[in-house]
Amino acid sequence: MRRIMMSVVDGKGFDLILVGAALIFLFLFSGLPLLYNILMSFQEVDMFSLGKFFRPFVGLDNYRALLSQPAFWPIMWNTIVFVTCSIGGQFLVGFSLALFFNLNFVGSTFIRGLFLVSWVMPGLVVGAIWNWILAGDFGVLNYFLENLGIIDEKIFWRSDINYSLWAVIITNIWLGTAFNMILLSVGLAGIPEDVYEAAELDGANAIQRLWTITLPMMRSTIGAVVSLGLIFTLQQFDLFAAITSGGPANSSNVAQYWAWELSFRQYDFAKGAAISTLMIFFVMFAAIVYVRSTKHEVRG
Amino acid sequence: MTSPLQIELKAVNKYYGNFHALKNIDLAVPSGTFVALVGPSGCGKSTLLRSLAGLEETSGGKMEIAGVDVTDMPPRKRDVAMVFQSYALYPHMTVAQNLTYSLRIQKVAKAELRAAAEKVAASIGLTELLDRYPRELSGGQRQRVAMGRAIIRNPKVFLFDEPLSNLDASLRVQMRKEIRALHDRLGATTVYVTHDQIEAMTMADHVVVLRAGVIEQQASPMTLYERPTSKFVAGFIGSPAMNFIEGKICDNGTSVMLEMAGAPKLDIVQKVTPNMPVTVGIRPEHIRVAPSEECDFSLPVTLIETTGTMSYVSLGTAPELSLMLTDRTVFSVGDNIGLVVDKARIHLFDPKTEQAIT
Ligand SMILES: Nc1ncnc2c1ncn2[C@@H]1O[C@H](COP(=O)(O)OP(=O)(O)O)[C@@H](O)[C@H]1O
Ligand SMILES: [Mg+2]
Repeated sequence: MRRIMMSVVDGKGFDLILVGAALIFLFLFSGLPLLYNILMSFQEVDMFSLGKFFRPFVGLDNYRALLSQPAFWPIMWNTIVFVTCSIGGQFLVGFSLALFFNLNFVGSTFIRGLFLVSWVMPGLVVGAIWNWILAGDFGVLNYFLENLGIIDEKIFWRSDINYSLWAVIITNIWLGTAFNMILLSVGLAGIPEDVYEAAELDGANAIQRLWTITLPMMRSTIGAVVSLGLIFTLQQFDLFAAITSGGPANSSNVAQYWAWELSFRQYDFAKGAAISTLMIFFVMFAAIVYVRSTKHEVRG
Repeated sequence: MTSPLQIELKAVNKYYGNFHALKNIDLAVPSGTFVALVGPSGCGKSTLLRSLAGLEETSGGKMEIAGVDVTDMPPRKRDVAMVFQSYALYPHMTVAQNLTYSLRIQKVAKAELRAAAEKVAASIGLTELLDRYPRELSGGQRQRVAMGRAIIRNPKVFLFDEPLSNLDASLRVQMRKEIRALHDRLGATTVYVTHDQIEAMTMADHVVVLRAGVIEQQASPMTLYERPTSKFVAGFIGSPAMNFIEGKICDNGTSVMLEMAGAPKLDIVQKVTPNMPVTVGIRPEHIRVAPSEECDFSLPVTLIETTGTMSYVSLGTAPELSLMLTDRTVFSVGDNIGLVVDKARIHLFDPKTEQAIT
């Protein structure tokens, strides 16, 4: 004990304690459940064996059963569409806004700050608000689209199988845009003004400066934003629960929502765990991209 | 001058809000000239240079480059190259890519790029560094890349904004020569901003002294040194700075009486109204030590600073007088020494207007 106290006082080994505490915390609250989840995906689990640790080992049976479900591939496809379109939309809108606010007009900092409100709102609340906006017969979105002449008849966003996934994607883009914008704004602010001026004198017009200066210099920021976006999007559950509940007919169901449905609606914990395990690989991939992109800082 | 004008500014004005940063700037730069813009910090040098580059919008007046009105032209169409104080290299590009950026914007064929980069690199000693990134270079090397990026474009005008201020003293002296040599070799027209009058004097053909947004005087370096038109220019040009002593013209109008101990009188060559109060300017290098019989006045020594080649001596009077000696000093602090002033090189200024009396 004395030695531990000493190490705190003189600083030696204190770093190890800090790292150790964080690692133990991570292991207890993230590592163990993760391992337990993987283990469960190889076992036969029912309501009676739920509390047990040792259960019949069934190998890849749960995975086979999942794959043989007709809903499997459509749901995987939905997941891919949801993730790519959400990230793409959040990035494009967020980046445009970041560029816009980078003009530093009067009040730009304040308004940029206001945008963060969308990000701090809980997904269920956002979902509830968007339910009103997306509503088929009285929703504002339909009203706008109709008046702009883009659509002729009302779209029932949440109950039409052609649109239900898009209802969630649009909401998710709204939810994640502010986060993208803030991170990208920080990246933009890190590019010195004189580099742009040098490029301007070297003959580059605004679009050429965007392609040859801004985007390459933002590489690490963009990498971080996209991989964090991937992680957040794969975690997005609240919006599905609030807007479509994965329906109708699984038309807006995605892996993460399906895992919850299987586990906690159908009490098929093993299959739920199997999907979660599959998703771990995607998230790991995103995490690796993220870590690598933060390593490749190119600043002068 | 016979060569055509490469840069012509007519009554250029610039406001930042209410702040009048450039006041009626007129400037004519013949092709092939090296012009230095010099002045104290905040006098508007950078503003003038950036206006010429198009990076700042002017509030009035006209700017021509090579006979073309560029007043409202965006920077990329002006065909001027600028070397920034911060170098402003593209951090995500190698040296070669930095050098060829302008060519790539112009869609020059890939095959020619490397050759062009190598040619410029060879001319300024960057050959070994072509594949490095700016962060892997020293300050002096970055400076060269910034210059190479300007050279490769063969622009109508080269602009430099205090390019040497981030380098150490010895490198600065070397780069001074290199930049001037480069200018001569390329037959370029150069506008060079500096707050260091030594850089301006040693490098330029034509020096423009700016003060609070106004051109105080513009002339060749030697003219500025020998015939400053104002007390400001006289004090700014020359190192150590000129001594200023208050005085009064004597009844005869041919000598001036200095307001210091003993009220010494010095003969003057200028024709000045008798009894007029004046500010007398004497450069430290125009005072020499003399035996007491033939001296103009004598003063006690308060400080001696020796560099080996030079001695800077401060003399106790108010304000303090300084002189510069090249020979070994034979006196020490506290001694009273006799001094002789080079009468032909005395400058007289009107104390009210601070303009030179000639
Ligand atoms: N963007 C700006 N906004 C307001 N004032 C400025 C701006 N840029 C420069 N100034 C002012 O204009 C004056 C000249 O600045 P500058 O040209 O940078 O001086 P220097 O001679 O040191 O290069 C300074 O007083 C400075 O405060
Ligand atoms: Mg400046």
